[in-house]
Amino acid sequence: MAELGVQIAGVVFDNPVLLASGTCGYGQEFAPLIELGRIGGLVSKTITPTPRAGNPPPRIVETPAGMLNSIGLQNPGLEGFVREKWPFLAQLDTQVVVNIAAPTAEEHGEMAARLDELEGIAALEVNISSPNMKDGGMLFGCNPAASAAVIAAVRQATRLPVIAKLTPNVTDIAEIARAVESAGADAISLINTLLGMAIDIKKKRPILANVTGGLSGPAIKPVALALTWKVRQAVQLPLIGIGGIATAGDALEFIIAGATMIQVGTAGFVNPNAGMEIVAGMQSYCAEQGIDNIASLIGSLEV
Amino acid sequence: MSETCMKDLAGKVLFNLEVAEDFYLLRLAVPQIAEGVVPGQFVEVKVSSNYSPFLRIPLSICKTDPALGTIDLLYEDLGPKSRALSLQQPGCEIAVLGPLGNGFKVTEGDRTAMLVGGGIGIPPLLFLAGELRRAGRQVVLLVGARNGKKHLPDNLLNAAAGEIRKATDDGSAGHHGLVTNLLTEKLTGGKRFSVYTCGPHAMMAAVTAICKGHRIPCQASLEEYMACGFGVCVGCVVELRPPENETFSSPYLQYSRICIDGPVFDAHRVCW
Repeated sequence: MAELGVQIAGVVFDNPVLLASGTCGYGQEFAPLIELGRIGGLVSKTITPTPRAGNPPPRIVETPAGMLNSIGLQNPGLEGFVREKWPFLAQLDTQVVVNIAAPTAEEHGEMAARLDELEGIAALEVNISSPNMKDGGMLFGCNPAASAAVIAAVRQATRLPVIAKLTPNVTDIAEIARAVESAGADAISLINTLLGMAIDIKKKRPILANVTGGLSGPAIKPVALALTWKVRQAVQLPLIGIGGIATAGDALEFIIAGATMIQVGTAGFVNPNAGMEIVAGMQSYCAEQGIDNIASLIGSLEV
Repeated sequence: MSETCMKDLAGKVLFNLEVAEDFYLLRLAVPQIAEGVVPGQFVEVKVSSNYSPFLRIPLSICKTDPALGTIDLLYEDLGPKSRALSLQQPGCEIAVLGPLGNGFKVTEGDRTAMLVGGGIGIPPLLFLAGELRRAGRQVVLLVGARNGKKHLPDNLLNAAAGEIRKATDDGSAGHHGLVTNLLTEKLTGGKRFSVYTCGPHAMMAAVTAICKGHRIPCQASLEEYMACGFGVCVGCVVELRPPENETFSSPYLQYSRICIDGPVFDAHRVCW
């Protein structure tokens, strides 16, 4: 058996597979369905300083090889999370990364300080990339200085590793990556969803009540992979590849392109076992290729 | 009946036949689901082994036979997913995630059960009708469709309820008009009723308004675009009012997930 364990900022993950934020809730729904202990960890759904209702429905629609969503960060808020969601997450037999978003850099810092008091969080992932947040998210992530300000505020407020989650909806993602690296991020996860839209031609209306949403699923994998490769060349930080990963082959492409870990998101909606199957598939690949340690594969791309 | 824990299972297609215009009846051998499922629950069926279509199709269960380990699904061919499903041949195995969601509450005293269905909302009501009759309740089934060809065959309907009334938009079968007209007519009979409904949004909204006027309970099984079917994507939501004389403690509670908090809700709490 090859060694699949990897480290990010000193945190050890049993294998490089995480469930992506917004696709595994706060762990409760997946826990009876799969063996969470067999994947590297999960990233909990974005929480904001105060509770949010989210967007009116329809919130999702299927598109070719993927889907659009405009959930709008429905979440119980920071204190609701600490009270109602964290106790369950804390007892899981897997690493838990907590994803946060807020309307200002200062509030990001306040959230980080509060979460720093909890015992057992593996890392914080900062959502500066949601296309569905009208007062944050992608508004920060489109601007290098604003991205850096948010990451710096979180960095100063916590001893936990800080992961900046980037949006693909920018002119030059490398510039944002360098900005968050300089601001003290420990890792970069990419990509969040691509801004997208679908129209009902009979009604001449958008299908999503929010008009636009975020595109995810296999359709975006080539985009995510190209951006991972681009960011790999721009920064030294460990990367976590996200975007359309549904199979072990998909995941390995990201690792070869330079990602230390990967996240499985939308694929889990169709195949709840996707994460576990990817771990097993990585093991088979390593056996076939005579690889002792998955770490040797990271960034092994020959161009 | 106990509700079993959802699982992702392989279901073997026993038959998959067109039973009315564009309506298919699919029987799957999937014993672990057949055993514990209750009316109103559904499954997510994977219709393709590639990414086209990508998401699963959520389908209500219309009949179960725990002894034979089978479930029946009735669906309308109206898009790429149902088209792909209609091509599945006997002997094929397809992935079935379920049972999902919460079913109808069957225990409401001795009220006559009035089941109001429209179009492809009828399947879960057929399953429910059987359970209600087993519980000793009188069952009346009111079904609406665009035209006579769109009505499910009588052998499927008759097995379900003691009394069946049909309505069609064009008058080609049964009452010429809306199924809600039949409901209003029945409710003036003075008996004690409770109503169960599943069908198009506008129909269920009208049914709920009629029930409110008569001050009778109404449960509605809702539908919305769905991705996961087990609560994690938070895509398929409905806005609910807080329970009477209460307020929501958090805006987080404004929208409920149809897949895991429903699909059956107290219709009087739904913001139609």
